[in-house]
Amino acid sequence: MAVPTLLIVAVVVFTLMRMVAGDPAQLMLGDLESPEALARLRKEMGLDQPIPVQFMIWLERALVGNFGVSIAQQRPVIGMLWSGFLVTASVVVPAVLIAALVAVPLGMLAAWKQNTRTDAAIVGLSIVFLSLPSFWLGLLFLLFLGVKADLFPIVGYVSPRENFVEGIRYLVMPVMTLALIETGVLIRMARSSTIEVLRLEYITHARAKGLSEPQVALRHALKNSFAPTWTLIGLVLGGLLGGAVVVETVFSLPGIGRLLVDSIFARDYPVVQGALLLVTALYVGVNLVVDLFYPVFDPRVRL
Amino acid sequence: MLRTATLATIALFALPAALAQAPKQGGTIRVAINSDIRSTAVGISRDANTDGVMMHIVEGLVGYREDGTTAPMLAESVATSADGKTYTFKLRSNVKFHNGAPMTSADAVASLKKWLDPATKWLCLADFDGSKGVKIESVEAPDATTVVVKTSKAEALFLTNLAALHCGQTAVLHRDSWNPDGTMKMPIATGPYKMGEWKRGEFIEIDAFREYASKPGKVDGYAGAKMPHADKVRWIVIKDDAAARAALVKGQIDILPGLSQSELADMGKPADIVVKSATTMGVYGILIQTKDPVMSNPKLRKALAHALDLKPLAEIASGGVGVANASVVPVVSSYHSAAQKKGYGFDPAKVKQLLAEAGYKGEPLKMLTNRRYPTMYDMAVMVQGMAKKAGINIELEVLDWPTQLDRYQKGNYQLSAFGYSARVDPAMSYEAMLGDKAKSPRKVWDNPQAIALYDEAMVIADKAKRQEIFDRMHAMMLEDAPMIVLFNPGDSNGMSRKVEGYQPWPLSRERLFGVWRNN
Repeated sequence: MAVPTLLIVAVVVFTLMRMVAGDPAQLMLGDLESPEALARLRKEMGLDQPIPVQFMIWLERALVGNFGVSIAQQRPVIGMLWSGFLVTASVVVPAVLIAALVAVPLGMLAAWKQNTRTDAAIVGLSIVFLSLPSFWLGLLFLLFLGVKADLFPIVGYVSPRENFVEGIRYLVMPVMTLALIETGVLIRMARSSTIEVLRLEYITHARAKGLSEPQVALRHALKNSFAPTWTLIGLVLGGLLGGAVVVETVFSLPGIGRLLVDSIFARDYPVVQGALLLVTALYVGVNLVVDLFYPVFDPRVRL
Repeated sequence: MLRTATLATIALFALPAALAQAPKQGGTIRVAINSDIRSTAVGISRDANTDGVMMHIVEGLVGYREDGTTAPMLAESVATSADGKTYTFKLRSNVKFHNGAPMTSADAVASLKKWLDPATKWLCLADFDGSKGVKIESVEAPDATTVVVKTSKAEALFLTNLAALHCGQTAVLHRDSWNPDGTMKMPIATGPYKMGEWKRGEFIEIDAFREYASKPGKVDGYAGAKMPHADKVRWIVIKDDAAARAALVKGQIDILPGLSQSELADMGKPADIVVKSATTMGVYGILIQTKDPVMSNPKLRKALAHALDLKPLAEIASGGVGVANASVVPVVSSYHSAAQKKGYGFDPAKVKQLLAEAGYKGEPLKMLTNRRYPTMYDMAVMVQGMAKKAGINIELEVLDWPTQLDRYQKGNYQLSAFGYSARVDPAMSYEAMLGDKAKSPRKVWDNPQAIALYDEAMVIADKAKRQEIFDRMHAMMLEDAPMIVLFNPGDSNGMSRKVEGYQPWPLSRERLFGVWRNN
């Protein structure tokens, strides 16, 4: 299904981008008066070709991994996508991991203490987290942790591969922003799936055998209740890897989300096409991995 | 004794002032930039941000002064023949390229020929290859310090076009700047800074060229002194306005272009930040599609013009840094004469009369605008409000900038809140607006007499005669009302008080030569 999905996305994206008004060559020139330069630029960019011809040329190259050259930056698109993806992944993967590590225990605790104050507090917290707009939360962190407390840098990015400690400092605030919001999302799922599992007879049986509550939770409830949360983690991870554009914009991170938005505004067709194909492939790929690991948590499900 | 004491006292008071003025060498000046530069290929792949950075690195034979006029830069002097077709540039003698090689006339000739080669894909080739009129017929170096350029015909704007920023100032580059296939590798130029580190999407850095031979005197546009006081200048890409302001407050950047006084007030007026601004040569106004069935009525167009009170409109839309101006010729231009100051005038009574004569019955008029340029959007909102008060019903259609630009190119609008980037000569401003709409739908004004006057202004070099032409064109434009010019926007910049020597100017691009940072 992945291949037909990617092909459909390729056609849809290509067509939609060409339908949107705006000419990348004209954008480069702005309001400067030069029809000759405009014609020359369009020819260099291949924009003077009929659209079906442009599509076939692009598809032929894309099939061998050549997504062409960025109109705006004159660089190979594949390199730009890879750089952007590494930055995005360095924020998203830790954020989702932290969110999962925090949300699952909290969700289970809320389920265990259903209808108590503990449950109400955890549910309330999760509602607050998932209601917060990411840009607002990010700006709050910038203001209090960056400006007032002067704990972390406001703007910029240093790759942890170049300088690990400095790189981590630049990632703390964006990772915290994303992690908080996704924690709210995951707590709700963890709680509801745990409540479902706690109603099952084998849990009563486990308690009747004399097992302690932690043993019941970890040995019996967790594995079964985690499966739906695992699916949600996959959806969240796949979606965010496609670009946490708001967080990337607020914290000035050169990730793939920001690259995609900037390219749309610049009508940089090769980058938009390549980026959306990559996003689709990531989403399909992550969810495929999630599906492959599902039987680990729920043996009733067979591949 | 008394004389000595007096002199000592004077020195005592003068010394701090003198010390305060002395530029500090070294350090890094950090500037916010809202998007990465396109490339280092000046004049080939560029946009406004790219030009702003690269103008610290490259220089041409001529450059723009502070007032937008053209002056020798790498040339010591420029002589024009009596027939206006031959230009003789005498080069400055102590100029070096960034690689240490001395600049000679052979380099200037090679550079010019390179620009004129179609394979270079120079954006401004059409200005010099005969496509638009003038053609450079020959470029020669009779000796090591002289370059002679011969053209097909006289053109008043020849030197102005050579100095254009989007043309890379027709930079003189060392031959090692080019790849064997003719594409630009990296400009090895003569400017006060040379290319440093560039991390795509993150920052661009330029390094001081310590062997730079600055012209004497003070900073004067891109044609005066250009001392590289700071060791480095780093433009940091910050997309989000709030993040940029936070970075300025925290001291992570030194200069934030575009920060206005009102925005500084919103930030609580931090004591260590100041805003400096200057009126620019940009032109903001409302384009009117005279081919539109409704807007083809000149009385309706003039009614709208009389409904607008320019002074408060300019004040509010530009954040207090723009200047009301009903003429295409900017107020800071040396051609902005008394005749240019005439406008429509805010006249509600006249609006009523004109609307009645036009038979306007309140039908909605669509005005395009965008959010990418806040000044354009604010201008549109102000115009809508003032028009509504006068009984003219305008609806705003907010588009993204590429779409609005596309509609501008196709002439597909009734009204469009638009801004033209700075043009140093009135003829360049009229060039953007004037022409046959049938051939070029983006043209705003297609009066044949105005076109004839423009053609005349392109040939005549005499300032007084050109002034007369521009004054007549302004009067004609007021009569035809193809566009309602509203104001010249300002260029305001927030900066740390530790930054000295920085001055905004009419061409908007930040200039970091002659600037230093007190630590």
